[in-house]
Amino acid sequence: MSELIRSLVAWLIFPGFGFLFVCALTVEWIDRKLLARFQGRVGPPWYQPLADWIKLMGKEDILPVGASEWVCAALPIVSLAASLTAVLYIPVAGHTVSAFEGDLIVVLFLLSVPTLAYFLAGWASVGVYSLLGGNRSLLQYLAYEVPFLTALSSPAILSGSWSISQIVEWQMRTIWGALVLPVGFGIGVIGLIGKLKRTPFDIPKAKSEIVAGPLTEFSGRKLALWRLAIGVQTVVGIFLLVNLFLGGSRLSIVLPVAPVFALKSLLMVLLLSTISALYARLRIDQLSDLGWRVLAPLALAQIAVTVWIAP
Amino acid sequence: MDINDVLRILKERCAPQLTVRTLPLGETVVELTPEQLRPAVETLIGQCGVCHLSTITGDDTGREIVLLYHFWEGVGLTLRVLLPREQAVISTLIDLIPGAAFYEREVTEMLDIMFEWHPMSTHLFLPDDWHSDAPLRKQVQDA
Amino acid sequence: MPKTVVPIGPQHPLLKEPLSFLLTVEGERVVDSSLRLGYVYRGIERLCQDRNYTQNLHLFERVCGICSYVHTLVYCQGVEALLGLQVPLRAQYLRVLMCELERIHSHLLWLGVLAENMGLTTIFMYAWRERETVLDIMEELSGGRVTHAANVIGGVRLNPKVDQTTFDQIAARLRGMVAQVEEFQDMVLNERTLQARTQGVGLLSAEQIRRYCVVGPTARASGVDVDLRRDAPYAAYDRLNVRVITHQAGDVWARTLVRVQEVLVSMQVCQQVLSEMPAGPLTVKVPRRVPTGEVVSRAEAPRGELIYYLRSDGSDKPARVHIRTPTLPSLATMGEQLRNINTADVSAVLSGVDLCIACADR
Repeated sequence: MSELIRSLVAWLIFPGFGFLFVCALTVEWIDRKLLARFQGRVGPPWYQPLADWIKLMGKEDILPVGASEWVCAALPIVSLAASLTAVLYIPVAGHTVSAFEGDLIVVLFLLSVPTLAYFLAGWASVGVYSLLGGNRSLLQYLAYEVPFLTALSSPAILSGSWSISQIVEWQMRTIWGALVLPVGFGIGVIGLIGKLKRTPFDIPKAKSEIVAGPLTEFSGRKLALWRLAIGVQTVVGIFLLVNLFLGGSRLSIVLPVAPVFALKSLLMVLLLSTISALYARLRIDQLSDLGWRVLAPLALAQIAVTVWIAP
Repeated sequence: MDINDVLRILKERCAPQLTVRTLPLGETVVELTPEQLRPAVETLIGQCGVCHLSTITGDDTGREIVLLYHFWEGVGLTLRVLLPREQAVISTLIDLIPGAAFYEREVTEMLDIMFEWHPMSTHLFLPDDWHSDAPLRKQVQDA
Repeated sequence: MPKTVVPIGPQHPLLKEPLSFLLTVEGERVVDSSLRLGYVYRGIERLCQDRNYTQNLHLFERVCGICSYVHTLVYCQGVEALLGLQVPLRAQYLRVLMCELERIHSHLLWLGVLAENMGLTTIFMYAWRERETVLDIMEELSGGRVTHAANVIGGVRLNPKVDQTTFDQIAARLRGMVAQVEEFQDMVLNERTLQARTQGVGLLSAEQIRRYCVVGPTARASGVDVDLRRDAPYAAYDRLNVRVITHQAGDVWARTLVRVQEVLVSMQVCQQVLSEMPAGPLTVKVPRRVPTGEVVSRAEAPRGELIYYLRSDGSDKPARVHIRTPTLPSLATMGEQLRNINTADVSAVLSGVDLCIACADR
């Protein structure tokens, strides 16, 4: 019985749905505020993302003729479910709900599901802009995913374990992953920007070209769920990178775990927001170029170096 | 090329009886017949290096239709052609100056002038379902 | 591969005014395009025949929101020529000042729109923030940010409290803007993602420019050296130094560079105007009736050559006014620019041309 209650608390409150919901809204607010400050604006108040979400939940929910109602309703939920499942294996402020050897691979697979759901959303919600956006999102996935997966494997190879918690433990004993694998960290960040479809890789939802890409025809509750799914995906991606490269919640001096983890996550948000503010949007062929000609060889080189220096 | 040289070449090649006026602000206006228009434009482009057509103005004076071709090459040169109101037909220039296409289409839909050999196309500015008379023709004003 | 028809407009985040492009797309390539204008057609050429010359000032100012001043300038110039009036020198200098301020604000607006369409929202915010300074100056001079009602037939009508101190303050504020605009120039020259999206896109050769009779910065970016401020000076331009910027590349990047550098030139012209402002009256007495006659009036609007043809038949209403705005020939080149390009380049091509559809449609 207590096992059941512990599981429910983990799934629904911490580090499950409730915690991630709050984190997603917080990260969105920090991102928007930072972006606004970079652009010389004031930025939204702290409750803006929550207010937007609540308002969106109450709006009219329509789809074009020919779009499949239940597929379009299921896709954001599938996306959300995948991210929520992934977080069970990621140490959040030191607590992992569950861990086993190889859970890194499971997490990486689960984090690919939202991308495929996004692409399917473009196809299921029939519309010219949605189809174009769906095609682009798949092309983008092929461009960044291989370097991303390769780069995220390097801390595993170095630490000798495919379990995220073990990788964190290893970093605690030796050194931060980012310091010994800088190229891997860099490619991990770039891959994360591609996965989250942020500028300069917000090609599938390029506002000035294809209106809103795959999500053009979504509105009301479905769109609110999609925005939540994207927000949760952002948070989980940041947590993953913090654990793999920035030492998780540990610091060489003994400090409370939660603030350290929060601080490192905030640093990642700062990094992502700065990059979003600085660059223009690339074209899909330029991204494919970048992915296959620059990132993939660098990631492979990183792996080669890692294998060479691994104990 | 000097405007006087341009006028001289036009006079020699296309329009022996050339009427020239000057408007305030320095525009030179040359009167031509509809048949002289194409050779004149060909001369301007070929011999005088004048090929920038600013616009084509169509004007219904009540007595006749006036077509003005405003050229610019350092100075303003306007070719003025008179057409009868009942049968306003003149040859197109779009093979010589592709940029004339929009101007000719506008004149066609506003004043009901036909440009020979201009491919018929849809309205440029007027709505697709405009079936009344051409807006800038005089009879519409009297109504 | 199947062909899809992607509509750009009449409503689209890319377009600030309604326009309809139907792009036939195969995968990520545009194979064909068609253009439909007329969504903002208000029949101004017909409307002005029912209004007298003074009422028409109000009408022509509203042909366009961005270049409203130069429309009234060209119209007033034409009517003043028909009347045989000599506008006082101070009024001519003030007309130049307002025209150049309008050019600055139009180019900054366009820079922001281009950046936004490229995904570079930061530059959009910065450019429009600089534009606020210029709009505030125009409001101080004339009372309006967008439509100024500052031109009358026979001169200008400005805020009566404007004096030399105001001009000195305006000069100082313009000087304060120069640093940021030079940073924009730096960005265009050095920022790689912007260059990746704009270089080699929307190429127009000088030959194509001349065949389609394109005017303005679009033409100057392909090497065609035409600027009415230098070639046929109007208002007080014959007493001022105007440096004409041209570039050879002919792509969207060249057009961006030309426009940003034109902003710097305009600021210099404004400084010269403000320091050399002569004293004198602002208007001259205007006869009641416009005599019979015709006139062709031209000026260099921010987007290029603006031409008005006016015919008067001696009554108090103009017999015919024909306007050709500079965006129209640029739109004629769209078919060529949109042929066989990447779908993602469509936003660069449409932004590079500096569309002002209200102007084009009238």
